[in-house]
Parts: sequence; C-alpha cells; structure tokens
Amino acid sequence: MKENIWSRMLNLDRRWIFLCIGVVCIVPFFLPFGLPVIPTAHVISIFDYIENLGPENAIFISFDFDPGTDPENMPMAVAVMRHAFSRHIPVFFTANAPLAQGMLESGFAYVTNPDAQEYFHVVSWQEWAQYREQGITGRDELQAAWEADGNVLPENASGWVFEGRDFAKLGYLPYFALAILGMTSSIASQYPEDMNGNPLIDMPMLQEHKSLRDVDLATTFSGTAACMWWVTYAREKIGLPVAFGVTAVSATDYTIYIQSGQLVGQMGGLRGAAEYEVLLQNAGYVEKPDRAFIGMDVQNAAHLLIFFFILLGNIAYFAGGFHKKGVLLKGRR
Amino acid sequence: MKRTVPLMIVLVGGVLMIIQYFIPHQISQDIFDNYTIWVPIIGAFALILGVGSLSRLHGHKVRNKAPNWPYSLAVLVPMYLLPVFALLLPASVGGGMDPPGVYNFAYMHIQVPIQSTMFSLLAFYIASAAFRAFRAKSLLATLLLLTAVIVMMGQVPIGELLGSWFPKVGLWIIDFPNNAAKRAIGLGVGFGILATQLKIIFGVERNWLGGAGE
Repeated sequence: MKENIWSRMLNLDRRWIFLCIGVVCIVPFFLPFGLPVIPTAHVISIFDYIENLGPENAIFISFDFDPGTDPENMPMAVAVMRHAFSRHIPVFFTANAPLAQGMLESGFAYVTNPDAQEYFHVVSWQEWAQYREQGITGRDELQAAWEADGNVLPENASGWVFEGRDFAKLGYLPYFALAILGMTSSIASQYPEDMNGNPLIDMPMLQEHKSLRDVDLATTFSGTAACMWWVTYAREKIGLPVAFGVTAVSATDYTIYIQSGQLVGQMGGLRGAAEYEVLLQNAGYVEKPDRAFIGMDVQNAAHLLIFFFILLGNIAYFAGGFHKKGVLLKGRR
Repeated sequence: MKRTVPLMIVLVGGVLMIIQYFIPHQISQDIFDNYTIWVPIIGAFALILGVGSLSRLHGHKVRNKAPNWPYSLAVLVPMYLLPVFALLLPASVGGGMDPPGVYNFAYMHIQVPIQSTMFSLLAFYIASAAFRAFRAKSLLATLLLLTAVIVMMGQVPIGELLGSWFPKVGLWIIDFPNNAAKRAIGLGVGFGILATQLKIIFGVERNWLGGAGE
C-alpha cells in the first residue's frame, strides 16, 4: 500500500503522543489557565452534610489509598480535613494498609505544617494534660483556657486542633474490613491506643463517640474497591452515612450507590477534589483553592489533547479511505 | 483426616458467622469479637509463611544467578533491612519510623515517587490507546467513541467552555446507562459470590484444599 499523509498520520509513532502529553502536563504549571470549576451535586451533598455538623458530632477520614493514587486522593482528604478542622468537628483518622498510614501522616503533616499558610496548629495530647486534669475538655472552654494562659495563635494559622479533642490518629490495622466491623461495637476494642501510643479510652472525643454508631459520617478516600468495606460493613450494618473520594477511573463504579441512597456523595478524581476546594473557598474557609484546582489545568490540557488525537485519528481514517479497505497499515511503533 | 478437619472448620465457622450476623445478642457479639481477634493471629502465621516462601524463591534465583537475579536482590534486601531499621536500630544510626530515619526516607523518597510515577504513566498510555482505539469503524465503535469523548470532556472545565451540554450529557450517561449496566453486573457478581461461598461452606467446592488428603 502506498504511503500518504493519512497513512502516516494513522501510524503516528506513539513517542510523539507521549511527548505531547508530557509537554501539556508541564506547561500549565507555568502558564495556568485558572478556568472556573463548577461544583456538582455529588460533591455539594458531601460538603453540605459536613457543613451541618459541629463539635458535638464526629467523622472518620479514612486514608484507604497508597502513593500511586496520592495526586488524586490526597487533595480530597486534605480538603475534607480542612473543612472538619475549621468547624471543630472531631475527626478519627484511619488507614486500610501500611502504605496508607504513610499517606495519613503525609496529609496530616500538610494541613498542620507551621510553615504553610492557613495551617492548623496542633496541640498534642501531652501539651493540654493539665486542662484535662482540671476537667476542661469541652471544645470552646478548652480553647478559651488555652488562650487565657498566653498561647497565641500564629498569624498564618487558621485555628487550633487539640489531639484527643479535635482529632485522633488511629492509623492502620491489619484486616481493616474486620476492624470496621469491630468498630461498629467499640472503637477502643479495635484501637486501644492511637498511632502515637496515647490511650484512646481517655480521649474526650472517644468518650463521646464510643462506636461507629455514635459517628455521623465516614469519608473514605481510595484508589481501590476497599472503599466498599465502609458500605458493606458500616453502612449496611448500622446505617452509618458514608461518602467516597475515589479516583476518576473508578468513579463510575460507585454512582449506583449514590442513586440507591447508600452514599451521601462522591468526589471523583482530581475534579471532585477541585470542586470541594472551590466550595471551601466560596464558604470562606480558605482564601484560595489548593493543589487539585491547580492540577485541573493539567487535566484540561491533557483532555483537550486526547480529544484532538481522537479527532485526528478519525479524520485520517476516513479521509484516507481506510474504512473501505478494512485493514489498517502494519508496522506501528 | 486432612480433608475432613478443614472442611468441618469451614462449615462450623461459616455457618456460625452467618447466624451471628443476624443475632443482636451479647453472646453473638462475644463470638464475633473473638473471631476478629483470631483472624489477625492466623494472618500473622500466613505472613511468616509468605515471607519464608518469598525468601526461598528469590534466594534460589540469587544463588543460581538466574536471569534478572538482581531484581530478586532488590526484593530481599529492603524486605529484611527496612524492618531492622524501623524496629530495631536506634534513631542515632537512622533507625525508627520517623524522619530522618532510613525507613521514612525509603518510604517518602523511593516508594512514593515510584508508585506515583507508575500510576502517572497511565496518562501517556491512555492518550496513545485513545488515538488507536477510538475509531468510528462500526455503529458500536462509534457509540463507544462518542460516549468516551462526551464523558471525558464533561469531566473538565474546558469541556464546559466548549459546550455547556458536555457535563450535563456526561452526567446523564454516568447516572443512567452506566448505572443500569453496573447494577446488572453487580447483582450477577453478588449472586455468584453468594453461591460460591455457600458451596465452599458446605464442602461442595473443594478446590481451595489443593491436593490435601489425596
């Protein structure tokens, strides 16, 4: 068969495609488009649900992903963490795998990094021991007593977070599905201590929320089907409301659970995380959106390029008359 | 004996756990609590078996200088060395699980970038595959092509800019045709799992025993 422009286009060396993708993934970091991200109903429902919670409630943020899906899952977890910390909602942090525990540490460090803007200043379990001994464990009275003793919130901080009052890092347990089942009866039976070795049973947030039955929402961020454990073992057994943050490729797998009412909502891929960041900004919790919003520029460019390649392939296919010949040229690289 | 005992354990354990799930009584709860303690203990023995088996396999390759044997070394060295650094050595020589220890460094600066890189390669392969595969060769292929383009463009703001109908139609495709197919597949898989598990519990399906007792 004689080579022409169409056949050459159809047999385009894949390394050119790789090069183009590489370029469009890098350029937006230097020349951001900043296109608006409009939140969708699936994400708004999670935001609204958390917006109606307060210090008397509690949620779980489960880091159920490994480093492979960190760019997609981490911004979601970080956004929900910021939202919960801003509203003083007690948060239990868990992880479904040893590598996921590293993600938990990494995400928590990102939100509580004193060098960053709008970070949350951590007050460790030991640092506020004297207040516990005085019986001061309520969220507002604890902050008032803490600040009355001369502790000043740094200028770049958004607020205090007290370990054991505002958050507990439970971490990873083997056979995590069983741990979820066990927590439907008692959280402390599964986690006698937190990741730092602090006794969970003494923590005010655990005394007020002894099992998953006393928890108001579980959010799971996952790149695998592990997120389904929360639906199977917690939602279906005790009716715990569950929200998902999943990768874009698996997002369509779980929309059936939104339709059936088993999920509060779902963040799908980087787009879902960016939507949540925009909602946080609109509600005044942060000054500007975070990493997911920036990453959307890359997705915009990459999706447009893929669209262009699909178009190019089809133009060459029809213009070259290959739809008549039935056989494509050989020798692709 | 080698077959009967495991089959009996599975039968009693399986039936007990099914019944337990539906009985909200303290005794039932105690049985479940004990079960959740047993499982990780049994799992710990499986871990020993797994590490032993992996070491034997890769040790054999290294000893015999089998093809690609350095990869086996790359499995064995971190597998044994990292727990030593994480759990046994003091922080003064890079031990412990916190930064700046070796364990933390290996996780943050080797494992995290490697896994992220592997996953991000997907973007390159998807672009190449989309160019090759999405051709309007037939009616079904055209439907697939159109669906993929609409859903893909509906996911990004630039799609909304090109046409406000992109996200609306994309969401409709996900919420209705996609959900209908997913639900049908999910039900089929669910019934299949139920049937297989009942067959295992009642000893009809015995492949999991391997060749034991034969």
